[in-house]
Amino acid sequence: MTVQIFDPTVEAKGRHIAYAPRPKSLAGLRVGLVDNSKHNSDQLLVRIAALLERDYGAKTHIMRRKHSAGAAPSPQIIEDLKAGSDVIVAGVGD
Amino acid sequence: MQLKSRHYEATDMAAAMELCFAKGWTDGLPVVPPTEERIRAMLAAAGLESDQQVAFIENRQVSVTAEKIAINAVLAGCKPEYMPVIVAALEALADPLYGYHGPATSTGGSAVFMVVNGPIARELDINCGDNLFGPGWRANASIGRAVRLIMRNTIGTLPGVLDRSSLGHGGKYTFCIAENEAESPWPPLHTERGFRREQNAVTIMAALAPHQYSNGLSSTPEGILTTACACMRICAGTGRHPQYALVFAGEHMAILAKAGWTRDDVRRYCFEHTTISHAELKRINLMDGPVGPGDETAMQTLVETPQDLLVIAAGGRAGVQSAFIPGWGSKSGSQSVTREIRRA
Repeated sequence: MTVQIFDPTVEAKGRHIAYAPRPKSLAGLRVGLVDNSKHNSDQLLVRIAALLERDYGAKTHIMRRKHSAGAAPSPQIIEDLKAGSDVIVAGVGD
Repeated sequence: MQLKSRHYEATDMAAAMELCFAKGWTDGLPVVPPTEERIRAMLAAAGLESDQQVAFIENRQVSVTAEKIAINAVLAGCKPEYMPVIVAALEALADPLYGYHGPATSTGGSAVFMVVNGPIARELDINCGDNLFGPGWRANASIGRAVRLIMRNTIGTLPGVLDRSSLGHGGKYTFCIAENEAESPWPPLHTERGFRREQNAVTIMAALAPHQYSNGLSSTPEGILTTACACMRICAGTGRHPQYALVFAGEHMAILAKAGWTRDDVRRYCFEHTTISHAELKRINLMDGPVGPGDETAMQTLVETPQDLLVIAAGGRAGVQSAFIPGWGSKSGSQSVTREIRRA
């Protein structure tokens, strides 16, 4: 007699994500930086912003720090970045 | 109600066990094949319909249904009566204060430490004594295992993929205990976290491995806790403000009881005696920069508040061992959570 067993995994459901349109150029744009709160993450992001400003013409940058690397940015941080930047640099890592 | 999960055929039980390995559904150890009869017994014990959502893991956008919990509980070797404990643990895992994504994914490699309180702990024979963190009890072994298998199979927390633990530890197989309420000098842990003594509850904490310390010389609380604090002052959590569990076993528990020390007394002592100077943190490279003026007297506490020390009575009666368990990361990223265990 055969044995029937059931699958403990879940199937990923397809979902449409609406990406923001990519700017053709960074010239004159404001850069938002999401500091994930890891050690030296702020320094790394500031260097990235400096390169974007020096080599690609970005105008300014602002940085906001998450309260934990494992958590999403707070609604306040998202509002600040939406209001104060045109493009955003965010990432996860150590 | 019809089970909705995909199903597979195997020629016999041995082949079904091998199929579970082949499908990647195990933690490396053999599992019990999840047949319909066994899954339905789990659901009945918890009084849940198969399609009922028990938890939604926000970061992963995964809905954990009763059916998936039941399948994994069968795989883990649980008895049906363990189901309500697993369901409560999953509800706790989904609490934003626990912050599933951080501790589940982090290189820090935490496990889900579970403490069961209330009459159900005795009824299910969840060990609170000898060999507390070791093997030998089906409930301890399989309840914690079920939670880890749900994390793996249903929430997608696969080692090397969305579980990036550098090291991990044995508690990631299972890390479930009961509190020794019968011999504890203190009220049950869950009663200071919003529940009544006669209620059943599980407390979870994202936790690193237990660190054992020995002190057979002291017969006072201060003597024992001096050793505990010396060991805690420099450990995995130093400088990051996680929560800690402090587990006191038999002889140490008896000394604390005899002296009439309350949980608050223990917490206050340990809070005060685990502070460390900025200078020391800098010397051991847990704080950036050179030692400067004032660093010898600038102090940092181990945890944010004394309440971040979870004081637990458990472990064998004999011996002069106790343990502390550092929480994962920082309290801002994950906190311990307690949920009621509801039976059908």
